[in-house]
Amino acid sequence: MMPGHIVRFAVALVAFAILARLPVGLDGAFQFDAALALIWAFGILSIVLLTGYAGQVSLCQATFAGVGAYGAGMVVASLHGGYLLGIVVGVLFAMALGVLVGLPALRLHGITLAIVTLGIALVFDKYVFQDHLFDWFTGGTAGWQVANASILGIKVDYSKHLLAAYDILLALFCITAVLMVNLHQSGAGRRFRAIRDSEVAASTMGVNLTRYKLLAFAMSAGIAGLGGSFYPLIAGSVSPQPFWVFTSLQLAAIGVLMGVRYVPAAALGGLFMAVVPDVLTRYGHGAFMGRVYDISNDWFQIALGLLLIAQLILLPDGVWGDLRNHAARIRSALPGAARKQVRPA
Amino acid sequence: MSEFAAYTIIGLSVGAIFALAALGIVLIYRVTGVLNFAHGAMGMFSTFVAWQVFYGYPHPGMPSWAVTAEAILVGLAFAVVLGLLLELLVFRWVRNRPQIVKAVITIGVLLALQSTASLIWKNNQYHLPIYLAPQDWTRTVAGVPIGFNSILIMVVALGLAFGLGALLRWTAFGRAMRAVSDNPTSAALWGVRVDYVGAVSWMLGSVVAAVAGILITPFINFDTTSLTLLIVDSLAAALIGGLVSLPLTVLGGFVLGLLETYPQIWIQSLGLPRLIALFVILAVLIVRSPRGLPGVAR
Repeated sequence: MMPGHIVRFAVALVAFAILARLPVGLDGAFQFDAALALIWAFGILSIVLLTGYAGQVSLCQATFAGVGAYGAGMVVASLHGGYLLGIVVGVLFAMALGVLVGLPALRLHGITLAIVTLGIALVFDKYVFQDHLFDWFTGGTAGWQVANASILGIKVDYSKHLLAAYDILLALFCITAVLMVNLHQSGAGRRFRAIRDSEVAASTMGVNLTRYKLLAFAMSAGIAGLGGSFYPLIAGSVSPQPFWVFTSLQLAAIGVLMGVRYVPAAALGGLFMAVVPDVLTRYGHGAFMGRVYDISNDWFQIALGLLLIAQLILLPDGVWGDLRNHAARIRSALPGAARKQVRPA
Repeated sequence: MSEFAAYTIIGLSVGAIFALAALGIVLIYRVTGVLNFAHGAMGMFSTFVAWQVFYGYPHPGMPSWAVTAEAILVGLAFAVVLGLLLELLVFRWVRNRPQIVKAVITIGVLLALQSTASLIWKNNQYHLPIYLAPQDWTRTVAGVPIGFNSILIMVVALGLAFGLGALLRWTAFGRAMRAVSDNPTSAALWGVRVDYVGAVSWMLGSVVAAVAGILITPFINFDTTSLTLLIVDSLAAALIGGLVSLPLTVLGGFVLGLLETYPQIWIQSLGLPRLIALFVILAVLIVRSPRGLPGVAR
């Protein structure tokens, strides 16, 4: 183990220890938000891998999460499998779809890939998740109901043991985040970055474009699907609404806003995406100085859109990237500080 | 047979609107290099402004055609302002950024416009469509009823397409637009006011989107999201034209409209047309040219 590995492992362990007990005193709705924040954090983490590392644009990450959710729901509710099996199947379904989406990506770049993935998100939202042809997968209009689930003997159902599900999800997220940072420095990570910087140059240097692009899509879809496969667990059921096309657009927007090249930005973004809308709907109405106001969920998306525009004009590296740059500048301005290259991780 | 003909009329009407929306996308893309994912959202917002004028206020003593005209004029005026504001406040500042960054900014515009509209006009709620002509104005040709609305849509779409083509080809301003689309720097050196051309393109594109939005309301489940998501069908039509050619884009719109409508003779499914649009996109991008589109810079 290199020292970097130990530091990352320690950071993840401390983060887990702090975050695991954080939502204990909160009410059920906020505990749900905490778990949902992790699911969206997985979604944004998948964008960090696909866009930040490998440079492939995708506007259908919520679709991967949705396929994971429906896969898990199908195994548990329809085939009466254990929830662990449900998660595995959900992730595998998502990865299979990731490879399928990756196939056109072998020939496309940038905006054309964005168009195709937007089309895929829309097709899944309006067709696969809603048409009666796919009732075996989506459970019809009622969706799948999941109750009394347990993973490896631990009760994790949404009504009474939501925090147990949250802790498992958090542990998985910490592990995945550390693996993601390690991936950045690994051989595969270097190949991803070579593809991001220039596909022609990467293939000249002997990077197998087909293999590594498909790998990036499969891994990214798997990460998003892993988060999504916990959705039936924490919500009790699955419906198309959380995974519709606007969620995919929001995930992409938040990923870019927070800093698409940085793993911690995913956690930040997940928290932002799950908690802010709920806080707005909960406390966003009342009266201020005699004027009645009502700040609903829509304000979140308006703010997100405007923040994204402002960020792309003013801070191209995202919120986390900008914080990092500031921190590095302060550190190098301190007396006795060694000059150190800032590298994204 | 008459069923087939009736669906052909619907397909051509819907296709005409796809063509219109796609024209706006192509116009903005060619001149400013921005692939506008917010095109549907811009059209949607202007359409709802027109809808608000049409249904939101009493119009005492005005004949119905005057109310319609007023609503459309207000909607189009709003579209001009919206396009101008977007260019002045957002896209003027990112002209030299990579193409994909500009496209992601339009996603921010899409999200902001969509949720603002949803805040004002409520999402997932039935809205009465804006009829340009009374619905009972139909003429039956060989057993097939042809609505006056359908004819009007096709005439407007073709007229605007030819108008835009003529503008680009035969006027000094069109020449300036083409110069900017070829190379903004050298256009500026030759004295073309690039800012001005860009602003006018955004206003024109926004107006075309608004026309498309107002015309399509009788044909779809009219709410804030459905109009915003028309972007996928419009992009499919625009891709058939290679994001460059106006005639091919119009043709692409009609072809896509027919392709999406004919299966509805046998299968009633709300989502199936989107699948067809996706297949068209994939077919154009992958089959037609092995390395993506020739006109699309990377």
